[in-house]
Amino acid sequence: MARRIQIQLIALFCFLATAASGQTNSSNILVSYSFDDAQLATGPDTFAVFARSRGTVRLNGANRLSGYRSVEIRDMAGDGDFPELQGYFAPRSKGKLFLHFGFMTATPYEEFNIALAGPQWFNLRKDGIGFWLKTREGHLCQVSDSMPKKLFLVEPFVWYVVNGIYDIDQGSYDLVIHKEGIQKPVVSLARQANASNQPGSVVDKFSFIGDTNEDKSNVTYYVDDVMVGIDESIVHLPFVAPGRKKLFIDYWNEAQRTRRSQPGPIEAVGLADFGIRQKQMEALKAAGLWELLLRLINGQAGLSDVPQDPSSDIQRLLQAVGLWGEGAKALRDQKAADALKRFDEAAARVPSAKIYAMNAVLSLAALQQWDAVDQRLSAIYADWQDDLRLPPAMATIGLARQRLDEAEQWLRGPAEQIPDEIGQDLLRRLRSGAMTPELLQQLKLRFPDNWDDYLKDVFVAEQYFLVLLWKHQIVDAERFAQRMADRYEALGIPNSRWYERMGDAAFLLGNFTMALERYEKGLKEHEQSPGILVKLSDVYFRMGDLENERLYREKIYGTIGSE
Amino acid sequence: MRIQPWVFRSCSALLALLIWSLVLKPDASAAVDLNTVQTMVAAGKVAELKALGRDVLPVMARLYEASDPVQRTRIAQTFYALGWKSAEAKRALIKDVHTPNQQLRLEVQWALGRVSSDADVVEVLLNNMQHDGNPLFRDKAACALASDQIHLTERQKVRLYAGLIQALGDPKPDVRRIAMLALQIQTGQTKGFNPDAPIPERDAKIREWKQWLEEYKSNL
Repeated sequence: MARRIQIQLIALFCFLATAASGQTNSSNILVSYSFDDAQLATGPDTFAVFARSRGTVRLNGANRLSGYRSVEIRDMAGDGDFPELQGYFAPRSKGKLFLHFGFMTATPYEEFNIALAGPQWFNLRKDGIGFWLKTREGHLCQVSDSMPKKLFLVEPFVWYVVNGIYDIDQGSYDLVIHKEGIQKPVVSLARQANASNQPGSVVDKFSFIGDTNEDKSNVTYYVDDVMVGIDESIVHLPFVAPGRKKLFIDYWNEAQRTRRSQPGPIEAVGLADFGIRQKQMEALKAAGLWELLLRLINGQAGLSDVPQDPSSDIQRLLQAVGLWGEGAKALRDQKAADALKRFDEAAARVPSAKIYAMNAVLSLAALQQWDAVDQRLSAIYADWQDDLRLPPAMATIGLARQRLDEAEQWLRGPAEQIPDEIGQDLLRRLRSGAMTPELLQQLKLRFPDNWDDYLKDVFVAEQYFLVLLWKHQIVDAERFAQRMADRYEALGIPNSRWYERMGDAAFLLGNFTMALERYEKGLKEHEQSPGILVKLSDVYFRMGDLENERLYREKIYGTIGSE
Repeated sequence: MRIQPWVFRSCSALLALLIWSLVLKPDASAAVDLNTVQTMVAAGKVAELKALGRDVLPVMARLYEASDPVQRTRIAQTFYALGWKSAEAKRALIKDVHTPNQQLRLEVQWALGRVSSDADVVEVLLNNMQHDGNPLFRDKAACALASDQIHLTERQKVRLYAGLIQALGDPKPDVRRIAMLALQIQTGQTKGFNPDAPIPERDAKIREWKQWLEEYKSNL
């Protein structure tokens, strides 16, 4: 019963949800979440996220049906509760509803439940659950006429897209489920009795959860592209299967379109950006400050709203988020000095939050303080190396820096004469991308007079490459990357990062075979690099090789799961 | 805004216990000994008992067997609130499933399904629902069958449904009524069964329910 009663709203942090693609009329859409792009405030008219006990509901960038993110719902057996994504829309008591969403599970034998319900909530009764899908012993089942009926054996790491036409008056629905990579639907059923066989049963909400009763589920599953509406075109949306509408490269393209000439703040994509992990989430919940955090993140509250009474750690955390909000606004308003001050103050309060430091770097770039940009970037580079947001940020910095032709100078000049092995090793590590604060310290000690020149060389080269890409000089970018890789090889420096960049250029040129070859070469020195794995998965997708696409997707899951 | 979980049932006694327990601070360091458990049960400290883990269950069962009916009633309430499966708890509680002590009987009937998914729990509750001489006990046995069989798997529910459907044909109108109510709470529907309708009409609906059960079994 504790699972029933001790409801704690502990996670509402989500980002939205732009409209889905297709030809749907937006006025006929009641619900549309793709979990990408802009912000969405949670609330009674939108959706709520319950990450109870140790279960979590969070955005996931690695496994998605479309766009850049899906929602990952992860339950933990025996933790006394279940995680839930719950959405609301205006009650519908007649007519038809059209339902569309995608799901993928990593753990088919662990239970999860998906339902559409009414004002009587998630109970089998009139105005309670209307439409209900659940997994049981590895099978997806529909609950129809008050009984679970097996539909098919669920495969792990495969996206399924559900389309339903729910007839409220008749108390029945048509159900079509597509599996990625297969043209023919795996389920196509008509006039199924609704969950409790009740005509006229009102619906006004949907829910995605782990298990309901026994608290035995260790499910991890993903949900994307949730749409509910009264327009039939919703269920005729193209299944972008086998897969995803947008690839890693689309983030780059979109950033290009939206980024202004002046460096702007990098957007947050998860609570970890703010140094908020399970422990902090629990502390915020316990202190009754969770909603304040969400309002701070969404810009609905400011620094002055942070109370003075909580424990100092939590207070610092909230203050930092408040400062971040003010800093982001200042940077957007081209008040870079103000922004820098706010981001630095935020970083001082929560050093483990990676987004403050990166935004401080972007502020410094806007202020043209290049030595400081390079120094600070080197200190945080390792945290950002596999982050989708780094390349556009580096390109922005590169565009602001302007004098990028220095990158060519390093290539044209003779190799450095570094007599000692220690110095050579430091430069090798620096250039291979293994940049850490410790390395920076050692570099300063070994090269007290020109350490920052070496640093600049590395960043300028990367930024030069990205600016060429940014300006659509892709062939030039590719050639530059090739020369860098050759030069690195000649100097005995690991050059996998440059192969990855060559792969990016080949991908943008549409040469997927070449991109594949280069990413695989890049992976040799970074076997678990999530950044390269996701790109390999995307290339295989583009090549129509779904087996390998899935193989690499599963590898990404492995890296996430082992965190 | 009111937010409600997937599974819902009101129970004032449980709510009172939970609310009571939530305002008190847990002390996880307390040892699982009889005296500690006795104190916690007496004070309704469900959260603290939960913090001690499932090791409290056999201790509570021993305590139950050594207690008077008033204490047993409180312990049965606590078993209910914990909602953990326990063979020891079931063994202790089921001995009182026919007790004439009203408070104890009700708490035992409610708690049994929350500590066990054994077939004999469903059987004894079905039996009480149909054959107990006291209409209150019959009614509350049906309540327990409707809402408190929380550990039953879909397969185990076959026996529950079969018993309730069979009780739709009971000669006692109140039994037909409560059996229908329990079935409705379990499945969300009545299939048009009216406990006061003429026999042929009722029989037709019972046949419909039996067909439903056959389909339910075929989907397992």
